[in-house]
Amino acid sequence: MSAKLLMKQVTKTYGDGDSTLSVLSNLNLQVNEGEFVAVLGPSGSGKSTFLSAAGALLTPTSGEIFIDGESLTNKDKGELTKLRLEKIGFMFQSAQLLPYLKVEEQLLYVARLAKLDTREAKQRAAYLLKRLEIWERRDRYPEQLSGGEKQRVAIARAWMNKPAILFADEPTASLDFNRGREVVRMIADEVKSEGKAAVMVTHDERMLEWCDRVLYLEEGHLIEKKSLVTVH
Amino acid sequence: MFLALREIRHSKARYMLILVILLLVSFLVLFVTGLARGLAYANISAIENMPSNYYVVQGDADHTFRRSQLNDAELKAARAVVGDKNATPLAVQMSTITAADADVKADITFFAVDMDGMLAPKVIQGEGISNESQGSVIVDQKLEQSGITIGSTIRDQASGMSWKVAGFVQDSSYSHTPVVFINNRDWQEMKQGVGQGAAEAQSVPYNVIALHADTGQVKEITGQLDNVEVITQKQAISSIPGYSAEQNSLLMMIVFLFVIAAFVLAVFFYVITIQKTSQFGILKAMGTKMSYLAWSVVGQVMILSVASLCISLLLTFGMNRALPESMPFQLDASTIILTSCLFVAMSLLGALISVAKVAKVDALEAIGRTGA
Repeated sequence: MSAKLLMKQVTKTYGDGDSTLSVLSNLNLQVNEGEFVAVLGPSGSGKSTFLSAAGALLTPTSGEIFIDGESLTNKDKGELTKLRLEKIGFMFQSAQLLPYLKVEEQLLYVARLAKLDTREAKQRAAYLLKRLEIWERRDRYPEQLSGGEKQRVAIARAWMNKPAILFADEPTASLDFNRGREVVRMIADEVKSEGKAAVMVTHDERMLEWCDRVLYLEEGHLIEKKSLVTVH
Repeated sequence: MFLALREIRHSKARYMLILVILLLVSFLVLFVTGLARGLAYANISAIENMPSNYYVVQGDADHTFRRSQLNDAELKAARAVVGDKNATPLAVQMSTITAADADVKADITFFAVDMDGMLAPKVIQGEGISNESQGSVIVDQKLEQSGITIGSTIRDQASGMSWKVAGFVQDSSYSHTPVVFINNRDWQEMKQGVGQGAAEAQSVPYNVIALHADTGQVKEITGQLDNVEVITQKQAISSIPGYSAEQNSLLMMIVFLFVIAAFVLAVFFYVITIQKTSQFGILKAMGTKMSYLAWSVVGQVMILSVASLCISLLLTFGMNRALPESMPFQLDASTIILTSCLFVAMSLLGALISVAKVAKVDALEAIGRTGA
């Protein structure tokens, strides 16, 4: 059992002098292999900051972050970019697919960035798209897909380079309840089948059915509240 | 290039518009350049085609051939340095001729040259003339348009002398007028009137000495002779009356076209880039290196500018064929290559603003965005 994500005493402070605002204060979190963690909180609670820091997009004011055992401290921009490419899969709000790439190319693009062998990349893309039941639409542009389909492509894209951990930023925000649940279930399935980890940030409490742990971001800390999970 | 090509494939209309604008600008650049070169050539081809690379002119002549006056002493000195073959006198006289068998009057320039020397005209039709012949000339083929043919008799209005046209040469213009080549014997006659003694004839002055020399020899000549200046062929050409004024105005147009091309492209790409700010944020968050994105932008500009350049080259060649003979147009390979490289370089310069913009996009923008 290894920790895919480890955050130790992470603090992020904005502003200076008298008017400082600590969005994250001494935050600790460990996400292990095969774990799917949900982070909840109202808007403005610092969910985006949390995700940015964990996803190597934002350097915290203090504290240490490890991804797949690798410390983010003292890494320059280029090294962080490389780490994001190889170790982290991202899912963004509203999928954020590139409008000019066909479904299959969305996946092949990230494979190219990681310098994966073309044949291998095609096989992996086919495998993921088939698993996520979107293989028939591989030659479509994102504009021709429904919201749920787009998010499924986004899931496939996030897993394409076999990252250690997936970060999902409100993946269900633009979907209706049923489609949203379906997308979350698929993320959970991939976590289990690939033996990876995932952290999902959301404000929707109805989407937690498949999550192993649910944490609340309050005043810069993560608090576990198992009792609040609604059982469907 | 993966992204660059696929984006062009997806937004065909948008990139087609840019391509058309670039195409029009590059076509205009090439066309005006061709016209400028054509005009230049029509103006001074007689000097440009001379094998000599330096000219000895009188010191106070402002580099202008017709203001200069030299005599045998200078010629001897020059020949002593570069050798007999590499220095030859040239006399220039502008005049107006009439043709006996055609109802024409034409402005021409007389070039009196040594018919055995390096400035001897290269006859393409008819026969050449020798230094001894009398009453024969070789004329520029452009006079054919005025109805002058081989065997026609032309008459100089100023001196009243007449000659028979013995042959044609190609591309020999001086100050936009066709050149009429005469030998020194006829030149002396023209200058001194018929029936002068041969001894006196020797002293008729000429305008310049054409040299085929290297820089060391040029220094030697300037050192030896007072009151002369040795100028390069380029200096000689730009001192031909009207040449600089004509070329400078065209050059200004060309320069502006280059600047416009750079700006149009810069603005278009900048607007497109701003539109895509969030996409760049996503790409960076996913782990795309900045250098990759920069190449993507530059690659698109390269594709567009090179493609438009190729089409406009074809258009230019087509246009060249359709142009009437009287419209001078000339584009040689080196000019095309230079112009093309400059055009692509200016386009890339315009793309730099967009690259700078992409560099500024923060990967953080990818998180917490709701927009599509």
